[in-house]
Amino acid sequence: MNWNMILYIVLNTAFVFLFAPLLISLIKKVKALCQGRHGTPLLQTYFQLFKLFKKEIIYSDNSSFIQRISPYLNIAFLLVASIFVPIVFIPAQESGFGNIILFLYLMVCARFFMALSGLDAGSTFGGMGSSREMTIASIIEPTTLMACAAIAFILKTTDIPQMFGTVLNGSILQYLPLLLVACSLFIILIVETARVPVDNPETHLELTMVHEAMILEQSGPKLALMELSYGIKQLILMALLINIIFPWGLATDATVSGILISVASFIVKAVILAVAIGVFESFFAKIRFFRLPDFFIIAFFLSFATILFELLS
Amino acid sequence: MIDTIIFSDIIHGLFVLILGTAALIITQRSLSSLFNIYAVQSFILAVMAIVLFIENGTLNLLFIALLTLAVKTIFIPLFLHRVLKRMPVKRDLQFSFLSPASSIIISTILLFVVYLFFTNIAGEVFNDSLILLGGVIGISLILMGMMVIFSRKRVITKTIGYLTMENGVLLFSLFMAEMPFIIEFLIVIDLLMILVLSAVLAFGIDSSLEEFHKKLNRLGIWVED
Repeated sequence: MNWNMILYIVLNTAFVFLFAPLLISLIKKVKALCQGRHGTPLLQTYFQLFKLFKKEIIYSDNSSFIQRISPYLNIAFLLVASIFVPIVFIPAQESGFGNIILFLYLMVCARFFMALSGLDAGSTFGGMGSSREMTIASIIEPTTLMACAAIAFILKTTDIPQMFGTVLNGSILQYLPLLLVACSLFIILIVETARVPVDNPETHLELTMVHEAMILEQSGPKLALMELSYGIKQLILMALLINIIFPWGLATDATVSGILISVASFIVKAVILAVAIGVFESFFAKIRFFRLPDFFIIAFFLSFATILFELLS
Repeated sequence: MIDTIIFSDIIHGLFVLILGTAALIITQRSLSSLFNIYAVQSFILAVMAIVLFIENGTLNLLFIALLTLAVKTIFIPLFLHRVLKRMPVKRDLQFSFLSPASSIIISTILLFVVYLFFTNIAGEVFNDSLILLGGVIGISLILMGMMVIFSRKRVITKTIGYLTMENGVLLFSLFMAEMPFIIEFLIVIDLLMILVLSAVLAFGIDSSLEEFHKKLNRLGIWVED
């Protein structure tokens, strides 16, 4: 572990922490504008998090230690995963760092503990949310793996920083099949962040909700941690999509100007993607639960086609 | 003449888009977006023919592009949209034999089988990867169109399946086969297509095939049970 790496970890984590809540409120704002409302101010999520951190924690009598530790575990897994996705600059290579398979497993661990904490309090909503989340997960996981396998196959590496570096040095024209994977990654992003065709992030206490149902029993700072980890998950998935398709601006060495440029360019790209997600969400209605495979399967098909493309060319 | 590397990149990109539209045609339920996707797919094919024309300079390709542009991206979708206006249904929700998800899984398998077939049997004959890719995607598109035909219930979506199949034939012919013969073939298929369209139109396009048979029975054309 050298200084370069430590600097990278500190800066990347700080950026993820600071920027993640903004994207949540930005997408909300875009959706509100699409519906003809004014929407909440852009800093609303920060205010909410601050407010939640000041509140007291209440646990259900039936809950066990799982509910107490799962917010910490959740955010820890996602923060470690966030280190795997370079945003501020691409650190000097360390072997085995940033493996995409490990990245996926970290995300799955976070999801596992979230589902477990949903079950823990024994409330009906939590259990239903967890059950649904696991059903969706079992369908989307093969697709996610397929998409990651396709990316790894095209770019001939399983390390995420190296992937970014490869695309950065080449041009997108060299890796056109990546556009197909981008479509699957977009669908995966929608599913993983519980957005409209799959889940509705705005509903509370409705029978349709999935993600919100699992964090229903959490309160105070624990709820804030859950919200924050949701934001981080969204940000790192967006960063993965952005930097694989369009990494330009990402610095390869730790100079001040390089870091500033990559942060600024990432913010611009992330804002564009967030607006796209908001508009995409406004176009769709929630899909019936048992029809969700029709939506996922397109991502699966596109990833598979990408591998075939790469085999042939 | 454009640079060969850029040329093959552009063609690759267009293949990517065609596969995307094919997947959407299998799963899409709303009829009007189905027609739009079909128009987009045909437009991509026309662009592909123009790119090939710029590269090869064969005049036939330009004619094919113009024909595709005029008939398949403008005329047929417009016609279908007009028919849709008079129809009571706006979405095709009925699927027989296969759900959209399973037909996508089957088409991935088909894609792979066609790929294996082409690389093992025709790989030595066509050593250009672009030609091979055109053949694989063309044949897969034909098979996917076939799947649309038998998995959809409404006659109008069956027609879309048929049209997709024809797009596959065109794609295959652009890359693999000799032009003049295939153009004749295309024209015959186009004629058939118009026949199907007009027949469907005459007997009520909004009906599913069972009702269609009944209507034919009433006219004494179709003899069945």
